Amino acid sequence: MGFLKNKSCRQQITDEHRSCQDAGRRAFLKKAVKAAAIGSTAVVAGCQAPGLLGSKEEMALQFQEYFKAHYRLMTEKERDATIIRLERLAKLQKGVDVQISSKGALPGVLYGYGFNVTRCEGYMECVSACARENNLDRKSNTQYIRIFEMEPGQMAPNAGNGKFFNEVPVDGRFYMGAQCNHCDNAPCIKACPTKATYREPDGIVVVDYDWCIGCRYCMAACPYYGRRFNWNEPVVPANEITRKQHYLGNRQRRRGQMEKCTFCVQRTREGRLPACAEACPTGARIFGNLLDPNSEIRFVLENKKVFRWKEELGTDPKFWYFID
Amino acid sequence: MKTPKQKKYGLVVVLGLMIILTGWNAYSEKGGVAQTIKNAKSPFDNGSVASVPPAPVDTVLAQVRYQGGSFRVETRKDKMTRFQCSQCHNKQPVAVANAVETAHGDITLIHGDKDKELACFTCHAKDNRDVLVTEKGINVDMDHSYQLCGQCHFRQKKDWIGGAHGKRVSWWAGDRVVKNCASCHDPHAPRFEKRWPKTYSRPFTE
Repeated sequence: MGFLKNKSCRQQITDEHRSCQDAGRRAFLKKAVKAAAIGSTAVVAGCQAPGLLGSKEEMALQFQEYFKAHYRLMTEKERDATIIRLERLAKLQKGVDVQISSKGALPGVLYGYGFNVTRCEGYMECVSACARENNLDRKSNTQYIRIFEMEPGQMAPNAGNGKFFNEVPVDGRFYMGAQCNHCDNAPCIKACPTKATYREPDGIVVVDYDWCIGCRYCMAACPYYGRRFNWNEPVVPANEITRKQHYLGNRQRRRGQMEKCTFCVQRTREGRLPACAEACPTGARIFGNLLDPNSEIRFVLENKKVFRWKEELGTDPKFWYFID
Repeated sequence: MKTPKQKKYGLVVVLGLMIILTGWNAYSEKGGVAQTIKNAKSPFDNGSVASVPPAPVDTVLAQVRYQGGSFRVETRKDKMTRFQCSQCHNKQPVAVANAVETAHGDITLIHGDKDKELACFTCHAKDNRDVLVTEKGINVDMDHSYQLCGQCHFRQKKDWIGGAHGKRVSWWAGDRVVKNCASCHDPHAPRFEKRWPKTYSRPFTE
Protein backbone atom coordinates (compact mmCIF):
# COMPACT_ATOMS: atom_id res chain seq x y z
CA MET A 1 0.00 0.00 0.00
CA GLY A 2 2.81 2.32 -0.76
CA PHE A 3 0.56 4.41 -2.97
CA LEU A 4 -1.33 5.69 -0.01
CA LYS A 5 -0.21 9.08 0.96
CA ASN A 6 -3.46 10.36 2.35
CA LYS A 7 -3.94 9.67 6.03
CA SER A 8 -7.70 9.09 5.78
CA CYS A 9 -7.25 6.31 3.25
CA ARG A 10 -4.83 4.47 5.47
CA GLN A 11 -7.19 4.94 8.39
CA GLN A 12 -10.02 3.36 6.39
CA ILE A 13 -8.02 0.25 5.59
CA THR A 14 -6.83 -0.29 9.15
CA ASP A 15 -10.47 0.05 10.21
CA GLU A 16 -11.43 -2.67 7.79
CA HIS A 17 -8.76 -4.98 9.17
CA ARG A 18 -9.73 -4.33 12.73
CA SER A 19 -13.36 -5.22 12.12
CA CYS A 20 -12.29 -8.45 10.43
CA GLN A 21 -11.02 -9.92 13.63
CA ASP A 22 -14.33 -11.10 15.03
CA ALA A 23 -15.99 -12.10 11.77
CA GLY A 24 -16.38 -15.48 10.10
CA ARG A 25 -14.62 -16.67 6.99
CA ARG A 26 -17.32 -15.46 4.62
CA ALA A 27 -17.42 -12.05 6.18
CA PHE A 28 -13.62 -11.97 6.16
CA LEU A 29 -13.56 -12.63 2.43
CA LYS A 30 -16.11 -9.88 1.89
CA LYS A 31 -14.05 -7.45 3.89
CA ALA A 32 -10.94 -8.52 1.99
CA VAL A 33 -12.68 -7.75 -1.27
CA LYS A 34 -13.71 -4.37 0.06
CA ALA A 35 -10.20 -3.63 1.24
CA ALA A 36 -8.88 -4.63 -2.16
CA ALA A 37 -11.44 -2.38 -3.75
CA ILE A 38 -10.36 0.55 -1.68
CA GLY A 39 -6.77 -0.28 -2.50
CA SER A 40 -7.47 -0.49 -6.20
CA THR A 41 -9.43 2.72 -6.27
CA ALA A 42 -6.57 4.29 -4.42
CA VAL A 43 -4.35 3.10 -7.24
CA VAL A 44 -6.64 4.62 -9.84
CA ALA A 45 -7.44 7.84 -8.13
CA GLY A 46 -4.30 8.13 -6.10
CA CYS A 47 -6.30 9.55 -3.22
CA GLN A 48 -6.71 12.80 -5.08
CA ALA A 49 -9.39 15.29 -6.00
CA PRO A 50 -12.47 14.14 -7.99
CA GLY A 51 -11.56 12.84 -11.42
CA LEU A 52 -13.66 11.70 -14.35
CA LEU A 53 -15.36 8.94 -12.41
CA GLY A 54 -16.21 11.01 -9.37
CA SER A 55 -14.27 11.33 -6.16
CA LYS A 56 -12.31 8.51 -4.63
CA GLU A 57 -14.81 8.26 -1.80
CA GLU A 58 -17.69 7.97 -4.25
CA MET A 59 -15.98 5.17 -6.13
CA ALA A 60 -15.19 3.30 -2.94
CA LEU A 61 -18.78 3.60 -1.76
CA GLN A 62 -20.13 2.42 -5.09
CA PHE A 63 -17.77 -0.53 -5.05
CA GLN A 64 -18.88 -1.52 -1.57
CA GLU A 65 -22.51 -1.16 -2.65
CA TYR A 66 -21.78 -3.64 -5.39
CA PHE A 67 -20.98 -6.39 -2.89
CA LYS A 68 -23.89 -6.04 -0.51
CA ALA A 69 -26.41 -8.80 0.15
CA HIS A 70 -30.08 -9.01 -0.74
CA TYR A 71 -32.10 -6.76 1.55
CA ARG A 72 -33.91 -9.70 3.13
CA LEU A 73 -30.63 -11.45 3.98
CA MET A 74 -28.94 -8.42 5.49
CA THR A 75 -28.48 -8.13 9.23
CA GLU A 76 -29.55 -4.93 10.97
CA LYS A 77 -25.92 -3.83 11.00
CA GLU A 78 -25.50 -4.38 7.27
CA ARG A 79 -28.74 -2.51 6.57
CA ASP A 80 -27.54 0.46 8.57
CA ALA A 81 -24.21 0.36 6.76
CA THR A 82 -25.78 0.37 3.29
CA ILE A 83 -28.13 3.16 4.28
CA ILE A 84 -25.22 5.28 5.45
CA ARG A 85 -23.47 4.60 2.16
CA LEU A 86 -26.57 5.44 0.10
CA GLU A 87 -27.21 8.64 2.00
CA ARG A 88 -23.59 9.67 1.52
CA LEU A 89 -23.77 8.82 -2.18
CA ALA A 90 -26.91 10.93 -2.58
CA LYS A 91 -25.05 13.80 -0.95
CA LEU A 92 -22.01 13.35 -3.18
CA GLN A 93 -23.90 12.84 -6.43
CA LYS A 94 -26.96 15.05 -6.08
CA GLY A 95 -26.00 17.32 -3.23
CA VAL A 96 -29.14 16.51 -1.24
CA ASP A 97 -29.47 15.28 2.32
CA VAL A 98 -31.83 12.33 2.23
CA GLN A 99 -33.01 10.17 5.11
CA ILE A 100 -33.40 6.56 4.07
CA SER A 101 -35.48 4.41 6.38
CA SER A 102 -35.32 0.65 6.78
CA LYS A 103 -38.42 0.46 8.92
CA GLY A 104 -39.99 -2.98 8.86
CA ALA A 105 -43.62 -3.98 8.57
CA LEU A 106 -45.92 -3.00 11.43
CA PRO A 107 -47.29 -6.03 13.28
CA GLY A 108 -50.93 -6.90 12.66
CA VAL A 109 -51.16 -4.87 9.48
CA LEU A 110 -52.10 -5.94 5.97
CA TYR A 111 -52.57 -3.05 3.60
CA GLY A 112 -55.54 -2.88 1.27
CA TYR A 113 -56.81 -0.33 -1.19
CA GLY A 114 -60.25 0.64 -2.40
CA PHE A 115 -60.93 2.64 -5.55
CA ASN A 116 -64.34 4.26 -5.89
CA VAL A 117 -65.21 4.14 -9.59
CA THR A 118 -68.24 6.37 -9.07
CA ARG A 119 -66.34 9.13 -7.32
CA CYS A 120 -63.21 9.37 -9.47
CA GLU A 121 -63.52 12.38 -11.79
CA GLY A 122 -60.24 12.02 -13.67
CA TYR A 123 -58.50 15.07 -12.23
CA MET A 124 -55.19 13.12 -12.15
CA GLU A 125 -54.04 14.74 -8.92
CA CYS A 126 -53.00 11.29 -7.70
CA VAL A 127 -50.72 10.69 -10.68
CA SER A 128 -48.93 13.95 -10.13
CA ALA A 129 -48.59 13.50 -6.35
CA CYS A 130 -47.27 9.98 -6.85
CA ALA A 131 -44.57 11.09 -9.28
CA ARG A 132 -43.49 13.79 -6.89
CA GLU A 133 -43.49 11.61 -3.78
CA ASN A 134 -41.73 8.64 -5.32
CA ASN A 135 -39.02 10.60 -7.18
CA LEU A 136 -40.16 9.25 -10.54
CA ASP A 137 -38.14 10.03 -13.64
CA ARG A 138 -39.18 13.38 -15.07
CA LYS A 139 -37.38 12.84 -18.36
CA SER A 140 -39.47 9.88 -19.53
CA ASN A 141 -42.46 11.08 -17.46
CA THR A 142 -42.76 7.78 -15.58
CA GLN A 143 -46.05 7.28 -13.75
CA TYR A 144 -47.16 4.44 -11.50
CA ILE A 145 -50.84 5.30 -11.76
CA ARG A 146 -52.91 5.48 -14.88
CA ILE A 147 -56.42 6.86 -15.10
CA PHE A 148 -58.74 5.69 -17.85
CA GLU A 149 -61.79 7.41 -19.26
CA MET A 150 -64.45 4.76 -19.57
CA GLU A 151 -67.67 4.44 -21.53
CA PRO A 152 -70.69 3.10 -19.63
CA GLY A 153 -70.65 -0.69 -19.53
CA GLN A 154 -66.91 -1.12 -19.69
CA MET A 155 -65.53 -3.00 -16.72
CA ALA A 156 -61.75 -3.25 -17.15
CA PRO A 157 -59.36 -0.31 -17.43
CA ASN A 158 -57.70 -1.72 -20.55
CA ALA A 159 -60.95 -1.17 -22.44
CA GLY A 160 -60.95 2.54 -21.61
CA ASN A 161 -59.12 5.53 -22.99
CA GLY A 162 -55.86 6.12 -21.16
CA LYS A 163 -54.77 9.04 -23.29
CA PHE A 164 -57.56 11.47 -22.52
CA PHE A 165 -56.71 15.11 -22.01
CA ASN A 166 -59.86 17.15 -21.91
CA GLU A 167 -61.93 18.95 -19.33
CA VAL A 168 -63.09 16.39 -16.82
CA PRO A 169 -65.46 14.92 -15.83
CA VAL A 170 -67.13 14.36 -19.20
CA ASP A 171 -70.87 13.70 -18.86
CA GLY A 172 -71.77 10.06 -19.29
CA ARG A 173 -68.25 8.77 -18.77
CA PHE A 174 -66.59 7.42 -15.68
CA TYR A 175 -62.97 7.13 -14.61
CA MET A 176 -60.98 4.19 -13.42
CA GLY A 177 -57.45 4.02 -12.09
CA ALA A 178 -54.91 1.26 -12.54
CA GLN A 179 -51.75 0.69 -10.58
CA CYS A 180 -49.96 -2.15 -8.82
CA ASN A 181 -52.58 -4.38 -7.20
CA HIS A 182 -50.18 -5.80 -4.60
CA CYS A 183 -51.37 -9.32 -5.29
CA ASP A 184 -51.11 -11.86 -2.53
CA ASN A 185 -50.26 -14.44 -5.16
CA ALA A 186 -48.23 -12.17 -7.37
CA PRO A 187 -47.09 -13.42 -10.79
CA CYS A 188 -44.25 -10.91 -10.85
CA ILE A 189 -42.67 -12.50 -7.78
CA LYS A 190 -42.77 -15.90 -9.44
CA ALA A 191 -41.26 -14.54 -12.63
CA CYS A 192 -38.29 -12.82 -11.01
CA PRO A 193 -35.13 -14.88 -11.59
CA THR A 194 -33.09 -13.13 -8.88
CA LYS A 195 -35.80 -12.94 -6.20
CA ALA A 196 -35.29 -9.20 -6.22
CA THR A 197 -39.03 -8.67 -5.91
CA TYR A 198 -40.91 -10.16 -3.00
CA ARG A 199 -43.87 -9.71 -0.70
CA GLU A 200 -43.31 -7.96 2.60
CA PRO A 201 -45.17 -9.22 5.71
CA ASP A 202 -47.64 -6.33 5.46
CA GLY A 203 -48.61 -7.43 1.96
CA ILE A 204 -46.68 -4.85 -0.03
CA VAL A 205 -44.88 -6.20 -3.08
CA VAL A 206 -41.49 -4.49 -3.20
CA VAL A 207 -38.32 -4.55 -5.28
CA ASP A 208 -34.78 -4.62 -3.94
CA TYR A 209 -33.58 -2.33 -6.70
CA ASP A 210 -29.96 -3.35 -6.32
CA TRP A 211 -30.76 -7.00 -6.94
CA CYS A 212 -32.80 -6.26 -10.03
CA ILE A 213 -30.98 -7.24 -13.19
CA GLY A 214 -33.46 -5.48 -15.46
CA CYS A 215 -34.69 -8.55 -17.32
CA ARG A 216 -38.28 -7.22 -17.25
CA TYR A 217 -39.80 -10.69 -16.80
CA CYS A 218 -41.96 -9.23 -14.04
CA MET A 219 -43.22 -6.56 -16.40
CA ALA A 220 -44.30 -9.25 -18.83
CA ALA A 221 -45.83 -11.34 -16.06
CA CYS A 222 -47.88 -8.57 -14.47
CA PRO A 223 -51.48 -8.65 -15.75
CA TYR A 224 -52.15 -5.15 -14.37
CA TYR A 225 -49.38 -3.24 -16.15
CA GLY A 226 -48.15 -2.25 -12.72
CA ARG A 227 -44.41 -2.20 -13.33
CA ARG A 228 -42.16 0.42 -14.81
CA PHE A 229 -38.67 0.12 -16.25
CA ASN A 230 -35.95 2.73 -16.13
CA TRP A 231 -34.85 3.02 -19.72
CA ASN A 232 -32.63 5.95 -18.87
CA GLU A 233 -30.91 7.25 -15.78
CA PRO A 234 -33.81 8.81 -13.84
CA VAL A 235 -33.74 12.60 -13.81
CA VAL A 236 -35.22 14.39 -10.80
CA PRO A 237 -34.38 18.05 -10.13
CA ALA A 238 -32.50 18.27 -6.82
CA ASN A 239 -35.02 20.67 -5.28
CA GLU A 240 -37.90 18.30 -6.09
CA ILE A 241 -36.40 15.17 -4.53
CA THR A 242 -38.48 13.80 -1.67
CA ARG A 243 -35.97 13.61 1.16
CA LYS A 244 -37.82 11.16 3.35
CA GLN A 245 -37.09 7.87 1.65
CA HIS A 246 -37.27 4.15 2.26
CA TYR A 247 -34.83 1.50 1.10
CA LEU A 248 -37.64 -0.42 -0.56
CA GLY A 249 -39.56 2.66 -1.60
CA ASN A 250 -38.74 5.96 -3.21
CA ARG A 251 -34.95 5.98 -2.93
CA GLN A 252 -32.97 6.78 -6.05
CA ARG A 253 -33.24 4.11 -8.75
CA ARG A 254 -30.75 3.65 -11.55
CA ARG A 255 -30.95 2.94 -15.23
CA GLY A 256 -31.90 -0.65 -15.98
CA GLN A 257 -33.87 -1.27 -12.80
CA MET A 258 -37.55 -2.07 -12.42
CA GLU A 259 -39.68 -0.03 -10.11
CA LYS A 260 -43.28 -0.03 -9.02
CA CYS A 261 -45.88 1.33 -6.66
CA THR A 262 -45.04 0.38 -3.06
CA PHE A 263 -48.18 1.87 -1.46
CA CYS A 264 -45.67 4.61 -0.54
CA VAL A 265 -43.92 2.32 1.97
CA GLN A 266 -41.99 5.29 3.36
CA ARG A 267 -45.29 6.91 4.34
CA THR A 268 -47.59 4.03 5.18
CA ARG A 269 -45.24 2.40 7.66
CA GLU A 270 -45.23 5.69 9.54
CA GLY A 271 -49.02 5.61 9.61
CA ARG A 272 -49.54 8.11 6.80
CA LEU A 273 -51.79 7.62 3.80
CA PRO A 274 -50.12 6.97 0.44
CA ALA A 275 -49.53 10.13 -1.59
CA CYS A 276 -52.28 9.25 -4.09
CA ALA A 277 -54.91 8.76 -1.40
CA GLU A 278 -53.91 11.99 0.30
CA ALA A 279 -53.93 13.97 -2.94
CA CYS A 280 -57.27 12.69 -4.24
CA PRO A 281 -59.67 15.66 -4.26
CA THR A 282 -62.80 13.52 -4.47
CA GLY A 283 -62.12 10.88 -1.82
CA ALA A 284 -62.23 8.08 -4.36
CA ARG A 285 -59.21 6.37 -2.84
CA ILE A 286 -59.62 4.41 0.38
CA PHE A 287 -56.59 2.97 2.12
CA GLY A 288 -56.30 1.03 5.34
CA ASN A 289 -55.54 -2.05 7.34
CA LEU A 290 -57.37 -5.14 6.12
CA LEU A 291 -56.83 -6.93 9.44
CA ASP A 292 -58.64 -4.22 11.39
CA PRO A 293 -62.42 -4.86 11.35
CA ASN A 294 -63.00 -1.17 12.13
CA SER A 295 -60.97 0.24 9.24
CA GLU A 296 -62.44 2.11 6.30
CA ILE A 297 -61.30 -0.47 3.79
CA ARG A 298 -63.08 -3.21 5.73
CA PHE A 299 -66.25 -1.11 5.77
CA VAL A 300 -66.00 -0.80 2.01
CA LEU A 301 -65.49 -4.53 1.54
CA GLU A 302 -68.43 -5.36 3.78
CA ASN A 303 -70.92 -2.68 2.69
CA LYS A 304 -70.21 -1.74 -0.92
CA LYS A 305 -70.34 -3.55 -4.23
CA VAL A 306 -66.71 -4.43 -4.76
CA PHE A 307 -64.85 -6.25 -7.50
CA ARG A 308 -61.28 -6.95 -8.37
CA TRP A 309 -59.74 -6.62 -11.79
CA LYS A 310 -58.92 -9.95 -13.48
CA GLU A 311 -59.84 -11.87 -10.35
CA GLU A 312 -60.16 -15.04 -12.43
CA LEU A 313 -56.38 -15.18 -12.82
CA GLY A 314 -56.01 -16.18 -9.18
CA THR A 315 -53.56 -13.39 -8.43
CA ASP A 316 -55.56 -12.42 -5.33
CA PRO A 317 -55.10 -8.63 -5.53
CA LYS A 318 -55.45 -6.38 -2.51
CA PHE A 319 -56.87 -3.59 -4.68
CA TRP A 320 -60.64 -3.42 -4.89
CA TYR A 321 -62.79 -1.31 -7.16
CA PHE A 322 -66.18 -0.36 -5.82
CA ILE A 323 -69.24 1.60 -6.84
CA ASP A 324 -71.51 3.76 -4.75
CA MET B 1 -53.11 -60.78 -1.70
CA LYS B 2 -53.81 -58.58 1.31
CA THR B 3 -55.26 -59.99 4.46
CA PRO B 4 -58.36 -58.33 5.97
CA LYS B 5 -56.20 -57.08 8.86
CA GLN B 6 -53.83 -55.29 6.48
CA LYS B 7 -56.82 -53.80 4.68
CA LYS B 8 -58.18 -52.54 7.97
CA TYR B 9 -54.88 -50.87 8.86
CA GLY B 10 -54.71 -49.34 5.41
CA LEU B 11 -58.18 -47.91 5.81
CA VAL B 12 -57.31 -46.39 9.19
CA VAL B 13 -54.16 -44.79 7.76
CA VAL B 14 -56.06 -43.33 4.80
CA LEU B 15 -58.82 -42.00 7.04
CA GLY B 16 -56.28 -40.48 9.43
CA LEU B 17 -54.49 -38.78 6.55
CA MET B 18 -57.79 -37.40 5.26
CA ILE B 19 -58.65 -35.93 8.66
CA ILE B 20 -55.22 -34.33 8.97
CA LEU B 21 -55.37 -32.91 5.45
CA THR B 22 -58.85 -31.51 5.96
CA GLY B 23 -57.76 -29.83 9.18
CA TRP B 24 -54.65 -28.43 7.56
CA ASN B 25 -56.71 -27.15 4.67
CA ALA B 26 -59.13 -25.38 6.96
CA TYR B 27 -56.50 -23.70 9.10
CA SER B 28 -53.98 -22.80 6.42
CA GLU B 29 -54.52 -19.54 4.57
CA LYS B 30 -55.60 -21.28 1.43
CA GLY B 31 -58.58 -19.03 0.94
CA GLY B 32 -56.24 -16.20 0.05
CA VAL B 33 -56.81 -12.63 1.17
CA ALA B 34 -60.55 -13.13 1.56
CA GLN B 35 -59.96 -15.87 4.15
CA THR B 36 -57.27 -13.84 5.91
CA ILE B 37 -59.69 -10.94 6.22
CA LYS B 38 -62.46 -13.19 7.51
CA ASN B 39 -60.13 -14.61 10.16
CA ALA B 40 -59.04 -11.15 11.34
CA LYS B 41 -61.60 -10.22 13.97
CA SER B 42 -59.65 -8.35 16.64
CA PRO B 43 -59.40 -4.58 16.13
CA PHE B 44 -56.03 -3.03 15.42
CA ASP B 45 -54.71 -0.77 18.15
CA ASN B 46 -54.40 2.46 16.21
CA GLY B 47 -52.49 4.06 19.05
CA SER B 48 -49.70 1.50 18.59
CA VAL B 49 -48.22 3.37 15.63
CA ALA B 50 -45.87 5.68 17.52
CA SER B 51 -45.04 7.95 14.59
CA VAL B 52 -48.59 9.30 14.32
CA PRO B 53 -48.96 12.75 15.89
CA PRO B 54 -52.02 13.67 17.98
CA ALA B 55 -55.09 14.89 16.09
CA PRO B 56 -54.81 18.45 14.71
CA VAL B 57 -56.31 21.25 16.76
CA ASP B 58 -58.77 22.30 14.07
CA THR B 59 -60.85 19.17 14.58
CA VAL B 60 -63.83 18.42 16.74
CA LEU B 61 -65.29 15.21 18.10
CA ALA B 62 -68.11 14.05 15.83
CA GLN B 63 -71.62 13.70 17.23
CA VAL B 64 -71.96 10.29 15.59
CA ARG B 65 -69.95 7.13 16.10
CA TYR B 66 -68.46 4.83 13.51
CA GLN B 67 -67.80 1.08 13.77
CA GLY B 68 -64.58 1.77 15.68
CA GLY B 69 -66.03 4.22 18.21
CA SER B 70 -65.76 7.99 18.21
CA PHE B 71 -63.92 9.98 15.56
CA ARG B 72 -63.05 13.58 14.78
CA VAL B 73 -64.05 15.90 11.94
CA GLU B 74 -62.40 19.00 10.56
CA THR B 75 -63.87 22.21 11.89
CA ARG B 76 -65.56 24.73 9.63
CA LYS B 77 -66.24 27.83 11.71
CA ASP B 78 -62.57 28.87 11.93
CA LYS B 79 -62.21 28.58 8.15
CA MET B 80 -65.17 30.76 7.25
CA THR B 81 -63.92 34.25 6.49
CA ARG B 82 -66.83 36.20 7.97
CA PHE B 83 -67.88 34.09 10.92
CA GLN B 84 -69.59 35.04 13.29
CA CYS B 85 -72.55 35.80 11.08
CA SER B 86 -74.32 37.64 13.90
CA GLN B 87 -71.79 40.46 13.59
CA CYS B 88 -74.01 41.81 10.83
CA HIS B 89 -77.10 39.65 11.15
CA ASN B 90 -78.43 41.07 14.38
CA LYS B 91 -81.38 43.21 15.32
CA GLN B 92 -79.47 46.46 14.90
CA PRO B 93 -79.49 48.26 11.56
CA VAL B 94 -76.06 48.19 9.89
CA ALA B 95 -74.51 50.70 7.59
CA VAL B 96 -72.05 48.93 5.31
CA ALA B 97 -69.82 50.76 2.89
CA ASN B 98 -69.28 47.98 0.39
CA ALA B 99 -72.62 46.29 0.84
CA VAL B 100 -72.69 44.54 -2.53
CA GLU B 101 -69.69 42.41 -1.72
CA THR B 102 -70.48 41.75 1.91
CA ALA B 103 -74.14 40.93 1.35
CA HIS B 104 -73.40 37.55 -0.27
CA GLY B 105 -73.95 38.80 -3.82
CA ASP B 106 -71.20 36.40 -4.90
CA ILE B 107 -73.11 33.28 -3.91
CA THR B 108 -74.97 31.42 -6.64
CA LEU B 109 -77.02 28.58 -5.32
CA ILE B 110 -76.72 25.44 -7.49
CA HIS B 111 -78.11 22.90 -5.09
CA GLY B 112 -81.23 20.78 -5.34
CA ASP B 113 -83.41 19.74 -8.24
CA LYS B 114 -84.45 22.15 -10.99
CA ASP B 115 -88.12 21.97 -10.03
CA LYS B 116 -87.53 22.19 -6.29
CA GLU B 117 -84.52 24.36 -5.71
CA LEU B 118 -83.19 25.08 -2.25
CA ALA B 119 -83.31 28.52 -0.71
CA CYS B 120 -81.09 30.19 1.92
CA PHE B 121 -83.44 29.29 4.74
CA THR B 122 -83.66 25.65 3.78
CA CYS B 123 -80.41 25.25 5.71
CA HIS B 124 -79.70 28.55 7.49
CA ALA B 125 -81.71 29.43 10.60
CA LYS B 126 -83.80 32.57 10.19
CA ASP B 127 -83.56 33.75 13.76
CA ASN B 128 -79.94 32.82 14.49
CA ARG B 129 -77.58 33.10 11.53
CA ASP B 130 -74.66 31.49 13.38
CA VAL B 131 -76.26 28.07 13.12
CA LEU B 132 -77.96 25.85 10.59
CA VAL B 133 -81.39 24.35 11.03
CA THR B 134 -82.83 20.99 10.03
CA GLU B 135 -86.25 20.38 8.54
CA LYS B 136 -87.44 19.42 11.99
CA GLY B 137 -86.30 22.76 13.37
CA ILE B 138 -83.28 21.51 15.29
CA ASN B 139 -80.31 23.88 15.31
CA VAL B 140 -77.07 22.41 13.97
CA ASP B 141 -73.62 23.83 14.64
CA MET B 142 -71.61 24.75 11.52
CA ASP B 143 -68.89 22.30 12.59
CA HIS B 144 -71.41 19.47 12.53
CA SER B 145 -73.00 20.28 9.18
CA TYR B 146 -73.03 16.56 8.30
CA GLN B 147 -76.13 16.32 10.52
CA LEU B 148 -77.83 18.78 8.18
CA CYS B 149 -76.55 17.37 4.88
CA GLY B 150 -77.45 13.87 6.02
CA GLN B 151 -81.16 14.73 6.00
CA CYS B 152 -81.29 14.33 2.22
CA HIS B 153 -77.94 12.65 1.58
CA PHE B 154 -78.52 9.94 4.17
CA ARG B 155 -76.83 7.30 2.03
CA GLN B 156 -73.70 9.44 1.70
CA LYS B 157 -73.82 10.15 5.41
CA LYS B 158 -73.91 6.45 6.20
CA ASP B 159 -70.96 5.84 3.88
CA TRP B 160 -69.12 8.84 5.29
CA ILE B 161 -69.48 7.57 8.85
CA GLY B 162 -68.24 4.12 7.84
CA GLY B 163 -65.46 5.40 5.60
CA ALA B 164 -66.59 4.72 2.04
CA HIS B 165 -67.41 8.38 1.27
CA GLY B 166 -65.16 11.31 2.00
CA LYS B 167 -61.63 10.88 3.18
CA ARG B 168 -59.36 10.69 6.17
CA VAL B 169 -56.92 13.49 6.76
CA SER B 170 -53.32 12.41 6.06
CA TRP B 171 -53.08 9.41 8.43
CA TRP B 172 -54.56 5.94 8.16
CA ALA B 173 -53.43 5.10 11.71
CA GLY B 174 -53.97 6.97 14.94
CA ASP B 175 -57.17 8.79 15.88
CA ARG B 176 -59.58 8.80 12.99
CA VAL B 177 -59.83 12.33 11.59
CA VAL B 178 -62.04 12.86 8.54
CA LYS B 179 -62.93 15.76 6.33
CA ASN B 180 -66.22 17.49 6.93
CA CYS B 181 -68.82 17.69 4.15
CA ALA B 182 -68.04 21.33 3.48
CA SER B 183 -64.26 20.73 3.53
CA CYS B 184 -64.59 19.32 0.01
CA HIS B 185 -68.03 20.42 -1.22
CA ASP B 186 -69.10 24.02 -1.53
CA PRO B 187 -72.48 23.77 0.19
CA HIS B 188 -73.97 26.33 -2.22
CA ALA B 189 -72.75 24.41 -5.29
CA PRO B 190 -71.78 20.96 -4.09
CA ARG B 191 -70.99 19.33 -7.42
CA PHE B 192 -67.29 19.39 -8.31
CA GLU B 193 -66.49 21.73 -11.17
CA LYS B 194 -65.25 20.66 -14.55
CA ARG B 195 -61.59 21.43 -15.02
CA TRP B 196 -58.47 20.31 -16.81
CA PRO B 197 -56.61 17.33 -15.35
CA LYS B 198 -53.44 18.05 -13.39
CA THR B 199 -51.32 16.02 -15.81
CA TYR B 200 -51.72 13.56 -18.65
CA SER B 201 -51.05 9.85 -19.04
CA ARG B 202 -48.44 8.26 -21.16
CA PRO B 203 -49.68 5.86 -23.82
CA PHE B 204 -50.80 2.54 -22.36
CA THR B 205 -48.27 0.34 -24.12
CA GLU B 206 -44.62 1.21 -24.17
